[in-house]
Amino acid sequence: MANTVNQRVVTPEHLLFEAPRTKAFITGSEAASEAVRRANVDIAIAYPITPQSETMERIGNLFAEGYIRDYYRAEDEVGAFSAISGASRTGVRCMTASSGPGLMRGLETIASWPGHRLPLVFLIMCRVINAPLSIQPDNLELDYMLTSGNILLHGENQQDFFDYTLAGFAISEKCEVTLPVAVAVDGFFVTHARAWVEMPSAELKLPPRDCYSEAVPMIDNENPPVRIARDAPIQKSNFISYQMHAAWQQEIHAAHERSRKWVSRYINGLVEVVNPEAETLIVASGSAVSQSREALRQAEEMGKKVGLIKVKSLRPFPTAELRAACRHAKRIIVPEFNCPGWLNREVRATLYGHSEAKIADGPRVYGGITMPTELILEWLFKSE
Amino acid sequence: MRRYNVRMAGVGGQGVVTASHVLSNGVIQSGGESTVVPFFGSEKRMAPVESYVRIADGKLYEIGEILYPNVIVIFHSQVITHGKSYTMPFYSGIKDNSFILVNMPRKVELSQDEERELEQKRAKVFYLPATEIALQAAGTEVATNMVMIGAVSAVLGLPDLESLEKALIERFLGKGLVASGGTASLDKAMEKNFGPKLDLVNKNMAAIRAAVKYAAEQGWVQVTTEGGSKQCTK
Amino acid sequence: MALRTLQVSPGFMRFMPKEYQDLVEKGPFGRKLKLSDLGTYKELLEEHPMCEGCAMAFFIRLALTALPAPEHTVILGTAGCGRLSLSQAAIPFVYGNYCDTNGVATGIKRGLALRFPDQPKDVVVMAGDGGLADIGFSQVLHGWFRQEKFTTVMLDNEVYGNTGGQESGMTKRGEVVKMAPVGKKFDKIDMIGLAKTAGVAYIARLTPTNPSRIVSTIRKAVLIAREVGPTYVQAYTSCNIEYAIPPQQVMEDARRVEKERYGFLEVMSEEAKAFLGGGEV
Repeated sequence: MANTVNQRVVTPEHLLFEAPRTKAFITGSEAASEAVRRANVDIAIAYPITPQSETMERIGNLFAEGYIRDYYRAEDEVGAFSAISGASRTGVRCMTASSGPGLMRGLETIASWPGHRLPLVFLIMCRVINAPLSIQPDNLELDYMLTSGNILLHGENQQDFFDYTLAGFAISEKCEVTLPVAVAVDGFFVTHARAWVEMPSAELKLPPRDCYSEAVPMIDNENPPVRIARDAPIQKSNFISYQMHAAWQQEIHAAHERSRKWVSRYINGLVEVVNPEAETLIVASGSAVSQSREALRQAEEMGKKVGLIKVKSLRPFPTAELRAACRHAKRIIVPEFNCPGWLNREVRATLYGHSEAKIADGPRVYGGITMPTELILEWLFKSE
Repeated sequence: MRRYNVRMAGVGGQGVVTASHVLSNGVIQSGGESTVVPFFGSEKRMAPVESYVRIADGKLYEIGEILYPNVIVIFHSQVITHGKSYTMPFYSGIKDNSFILVNMPRKVELSQDEERELEQKRAKVFYLPATEIALQAAGTEVATNMVMIGAVSAVLGLPDLESLEKALIERFLGKGLVASGGTASLDKAMEKNFGPKLDLVNKNMAAIRAAVKYAAEQGWVQVTTEGGSKQCTK
Repeated sequence: MALRTLQVSPGFMRFMPKEYQDLVEKGPFGRKLKLSDLGTYKELLEEHPMCEGCAMAFFIRLALTALPAPEHTVILGTAGCGRLSLSQAAIPFVYGNYCDTNGVATGIKRGLALRFPDQPKDVVVMAGDGGLADIGFSQVLHGWFRQEKFTTVMLDNEVYGNTGGQESGMTKRGEVVKMAPVGKKFDKIDMIGLAKTAGVAYIARLTPTNPSRIVSTIRKAVLIAREVGPTYVQAYTSCNIEYAIPPQQVMEDARRVEKERYGFLEVMSEEAKAFLGGGEV
């Protein structure tokens, strides 16, 4: 075990909102690892996949420097995700990261974390799901994450990747939550590009995980027997099994509802709204938000007012916030970086019966290409 | 607000990605905003390489490849003549009133269609003997990439020379700005060519200055006033 | 001390089921018990839903009595027959996903090592031949290569018993079982050989014919894993249902198989030998 670096423990609130920050021009991978540097992480487990690798390499360096207490390169994603779930059960703070195909490979494990009520942070650097093989950004894998039971935040840029990662640990370990938090950004666009990121001092860190304050007991033989321990396996077809499984799923759903206040607190609201009075609105998440901001700027140069709703949290989904923000909308477009349009589907389901607006079925790009601002502008004013 | 989308295209080994990082960091040093998106593909000698630089003297939001550039920088004539480009033809997606810088001592022969399309877009194509300028000013053609970004800064008026020099110092003497894994070992080879790193900065700077002088002599600098954000909105 | 977590506030003890009271008062926790003490204390596992005459249930019962520190032991299992009884033992049991036992065990072992550097915590995987040699193969081997300090016990019934008798990698060549309609085409996977290659500190192969040998083998495996490196025990625990062995002939079958192809085998690293030589076991 490496010597641990001396850092001062401060509250998540202090680290996220009060501590003075300095600016650095860094990549998203650097931003994520800088967040982990300040997150008092016990165990990080890595497995390479482009475009995620650089982040977990950097986190490996943090281990060598003494900012993390244990670290290794696992045999594959299933191995990494399984080991993380073991470590989380023992009460230590842990994290891992993956991208598209790796995420899909480990999906069985990912979808089991919430049922076991495992606090951990899972970073997702979105990438095309094969086939054909590609390493490019496309956030289709988030569609699979939406029903996985994980809290799911979608960062727009390098700054979000830093802030949401730190916030992720704080949210995940709240007693009312006790769930894994996935923090996604679009690969390459965020991970490999540089931008200004404001960060508090590296001499500060989050408090350690307080595992006995969480919703379920730890597997450490130091607290009363654990949930699945001494429960008969819940898989035979009988009414007890139905009841148990339904209860576990309800627990996750309820924890998501309870998480709203914490997610909202630590990432400053589930949504950000720009130009709320506009009748033409863009609803977007991730990198599509950045593209939309430029579209707003250019629309303004043309003398046209457009609004923007940035969805920061996909799970919990900002249902009430979205309905309120879209009350006066006449036209809504949902630019996305994936083919099926999972955000569009969410927006339609949320606004059904709550808005008169016409919701366009796009625009969407996929396969890895970026969304040109020109495309957003075209869709915004197509009807004119 | 001045706002440019710069697409740089060349071949592996020319330092296209390194040049894009220096140019971009120069803009940052001058107080503007800039992002780089290198095209990740096969990092092989003489294989196509592209890098995209967004430049603004205000807030910048966009990410990803630049599909609609208003500045195109061609480091190698084979990008045009051999189609060594991810975006064919080399001016694909070009916006109205844009300009193209090509590293060639003389005009490249283009097809009738290409000439017509460039004319319709009112594109200005500037040919400059960057390799020769690099040889003269820095004593090595390895500095060709610096000549190219020197010309870009002259035409755009952004970033200024002082900021470019800061970016160079950070690239060669400071931390970061390593374009790829191979670049680190390449730096060692460069040191052999150039001697100490400070010398390297000075020689690169000489290449940049020579490019700025050349651009001024050709009368390209005036283009700046026509550039800017309006081009982006069309 | 983990034993404390089992204890009930004094005033409430009388409200607990007799079974629980016995476990607290007469359980094996914190005591050094031998095989010959069986019958004098409350065992970790006394009820299970496994088949009549099941050799695996017998093996698990003895393996649990062998744990050197049950109050500081975590057991991991996966889909298969073994977990039907393991999950009812008075010991924390982790039942994760398919294939994940040895990955999860890695995380648990490392997490506990960080939190309790001065208190050894034993981690034991007990899973079937399918769980370890087929679907969990990669995690088993990589855990060994990484020299993770926990014990892996294969409950080898040479078939997927719990799903109804399908061929596994540990099924003998030529056996006609489900999904091997014309007989298995390749040999039993040589997990012992693989364990040697991977540098496992203690490797043992045995059948349930000799109770004291089961106890000493498991105890050695757990203690060596605690101090030296990964350990592996491969136990023949026949499926009397799928292989149609009458319950009263299960031991007879085990003795025959032991004689023919499953003889007791013990392979130890020099470090493990030195550790045992120190009289720890």
